[in-house]
Amino acid sequence: MSLLLVGMSHRTASLELRERFATEDLRPVLSKLVASPEIDEAVLLSTCNRVELMVWTREVDAARLRLRSCFERELGSDGLQLRAGDLDASLYELVDGAAVRHVLRVACAIDSMVVGEPQILGQVKDAYRAALACGACGPILGRLYSCAFATAKRVRNETRLAERPVSVARVAVDLARQIFESLEDKAALLVGAGDMIELALESLRRHGLGTVRVANRTPARAAALATRFGASAHGLEELPELLARSDLVLTCIGGDRPLLTATLVREALRERGHRPLFAIDIGVPRNIDAAADQLDNVYLYDLDDLAALAESNARERQREIEQAESIVQAEQQRFEGWLLALAAVPTIRALRARAEEIRRTELERGLSGVVLDAKANAAVEALTRGIVNKLLHAPLSRLREELEGEAGLAHLEAARSLFGLDDPSAPGPLERQSAQARSDEDPEASG
Amino acid sequence: MRARRWLEVGVALLVLAAGLHGLAFFELHRLEPTPALTELPLAVSLAAWLLVLSFLALQLRLRTRGLAVLVAPAAFLGTVFAAFSAAAPGSGEAGSALWSHLHVLLASGGLALLGVAGAAGALYLIHHRALKQHRVGVRSALPSLENLDRANALASALGFLLLSLGVVTGVLWVETREGRLWPGGLHANATLAVWALYAALTARRLAAKQGARQTALGATAGFALLLVAVIGVGVLR
Repeated sequence: MSLLLVGMSHRTASLELRERFATEDLRPVLSKLVASPEIDEAVLLSTCNRVELMVWTREVDAARLRLRSCFERELGSDGLQLRAGDLDASLYELVDGAAVRHVLRVACAIDSMVVGEPQILGQVKDAYRAALACGACGPILGRLYSCAFATAKRVRNETRLAERPVSVARVAVDLARQIFESLEDKAALLVGAGDMIELALESLRRHGLGTVRVANRTPARAAALATRFGASAHGLEELPELLARSDLVLTCIGGDRPLLTATLVREALRERGHRPLFAIDIGVPRNIDAAADQLDNVYLYDLDDLAALAESNARERQREIEQAESIVQAEQQRFEGWLLALAAVPTIRALRARAEEIRRTELERGLSGVVLDAKANAAVEALTRGIVNKLLHAPLSRLREELEGEAGLAHLEAARSLFGLDDPSAPGPLERQSAQARSDEDPEASG
Repeated sequence: MRARRWLEVGVALLVLAAGLHGLAFFELHRLEPTPALTELPLAVSLAAWLLVLSFLALQLRLRTRGLAVLVAPAAFLGTVFAAFSAAAPGSGEAGSALWSHLHVLLASGGLALLGVAGAAGALYLIHHRALKQHRVGVRSALPSLENLDRANALASALGFLLLSLGVVTGVLWVETREGRLWPGGLHANATLAVWALYAALTARRLAAKQGARQTALGATAGFALLLVAVIGVGVLR
C-alpha cells in the first residue's frame, strides 16, 4: 500500500492552466476515484494556486494512470484544448514519504506563493472535510491530514513565518497599522490604475480599509477598477481636494515630474487639521515630491523603502522557513512511524501465532500418554504460555520501538526473515495463520 | 511577538503591584485615619499608585500596553523614593485637613494622569522618529501613533482638570490656614506657571492648530516641568 499525490501548482502550471483544472465540486470526482479498485482513500485539494489529488492505493502504477486520467477527463473544463505534453509537463507525482512531506508543507504554507499566508490551511481543511463527507477519506488519509493540521499549528505557534510579509502591498498595510489603530474608519486615495494599484487595492480591501478612492488620468480605467473593488473613481484634477480627505495615499502613475508637490501636501495637511498622512509612492519616477517627507505628520515611503523592508522580511522569513521545515520533518517521521507500526500488525500477529502453534504442538507431543489432572494441566498451560510470552516480549517491544525510527522497515523485514514468517515450507497451521495475517493486511487477497 | 508577551507579563505585574500598593494605603489609613498626605514622600507614593491606576484604566479604552515601559519604571522610582524617605506617622498638618487632603489627592491624580500623557507623548515621539527615519520593522510592539495620540488627549484633558482643581483646593487650603489667597513661594509659582502652559496647550489642541507630534512634544515637556515644579521644588525645600 502506498500514498500517491498527483497535482499541479503555481510552481509548475500557469494561472490560465490552473484555472481550467480547478473545481469547486469535489465530491463527484472523489466518489469516482474511491470507486476504482486500486484506490482506497482520496482527498482533492483545489485552490487558485494548486489542484492536487492525494490517494492511498494498493497499486501505485494503476493509481498513477487513474489520477492522470482524472485530470484529463474529470477535472479539465469542458472544451479544454491542450497542446500535447502541456498537462504532463505541469503535473508532478510524489510517492509515500515525499507525498507526506508535501502535504505537511502545503498545510504549513511553506509551499504557498506567498509563504506563510493563512488561507491555505482553511482550504486544506475544507478539502479534508469534503473527502470525509463523501466517504473518500479513511483512517490513513484521516491520520495524515490530522498530522498536517497539527504540524501547521506547531509552525504557527513555534515560528514567526506568518508575521513576515514580503509583498509591497502587505508591507504598506502593516506600516499603516503602526500609524493608524484601525483602518476601518480611514480613507485611502490610490493614484493610478495599473497592476500595482490593483494589487494594493485588493490588499487594502482585504484588510478592511473603510473608504477607497481611485484617481487616474484616464477616468474610464479608474472607474473600471473602482467598480471591481467598491471604490469611487476620480480624475487627477480632484487631487488637492481628495488629498485633504485621505489618511493613506498610494501612488503609482507615469509622469516626468511629481504629481503631489510638497506645497500641495502641506495645504492638504492644514485642511485636515494636521492629522497624520501616510503616503506610499511606488511610482518610477516618483509621484510625490521627496520634500513632503520633511513635513510634520507626513510619513512618506517610496519603493526603495518598502523593498528594503520586504527584503529584510524575506531574510528573516528564510530563517523561519528553516525552522518550519525541521518541524515538518519531525512530524513526517512521526506519521511514517505510525504507518509502519500499522504495517507491523500482521507480522506481530503471525509471530505470536507461530509461537502459539509451536507451544501447542510441543505440549501435545510432550504430554502424549501422560495423564494429568485438571489442576496440573492448567499449571503446565500457564507455564508454557508464560515462557512463550516472556521470550516474545523483548523482540516485540524492540520491534515496536524501532518502527518509530528510520530503520523501522529493516527491522520489520529482519523479524519476518529471522522467524521464517514468509517461509512457505512452514507447518500447515502456521501457513494458515500467515495467510490469515496477509489477508488482514490486504482484504482483496482473500477474495 | 515576544515583546508583546513580555508586555502582557509586565501589565499583569503592574496590576498585582497596584493591588498591593492599595492594600498598603488601606493599612496606613487603618493605623492613621488622616495620614500625612501633605508630606512629600507620601504624596509621591500616592501619585505613583495613581499613575499605575490611570495607566490600567486607560487600557480599558485604548490598546496602549506599550506605555508600561515608561509608566512602570516611573512608578517604581516614585515608590522607592517614598519608601526611603517616609514621613514619620502623625507629622501631617492637623488643621484644615479637608482642603489639604483634597489638594494632595487632586494634585496627585492630576500629576498621575499628566504623567500618563507625558509617557504617551514620549512614546509617540520615539515611534514617530523611527517611522520618519524608515527604521521600523513591519511589526512593532509599540502602540499605533493614533492610539498614543488618543491616550495623550484623554489623559491630558482629565489630568488638566484634576490639576486645575488641585490648584483651586490649594488656594482654599492656604486661605483657611493663613487667611490669604496666594502663598507665593517657588512651589506655588512654578506650579501656576506649568498650569498656564497646560492651559495654553489644551487651547491649541482644541483649536486644532497643532498636529499630534507637537501635542506629544507639549505633553512630554509639560510633564517634565510639572515634575520639577511639584516634586523637584519639594525635594529642594
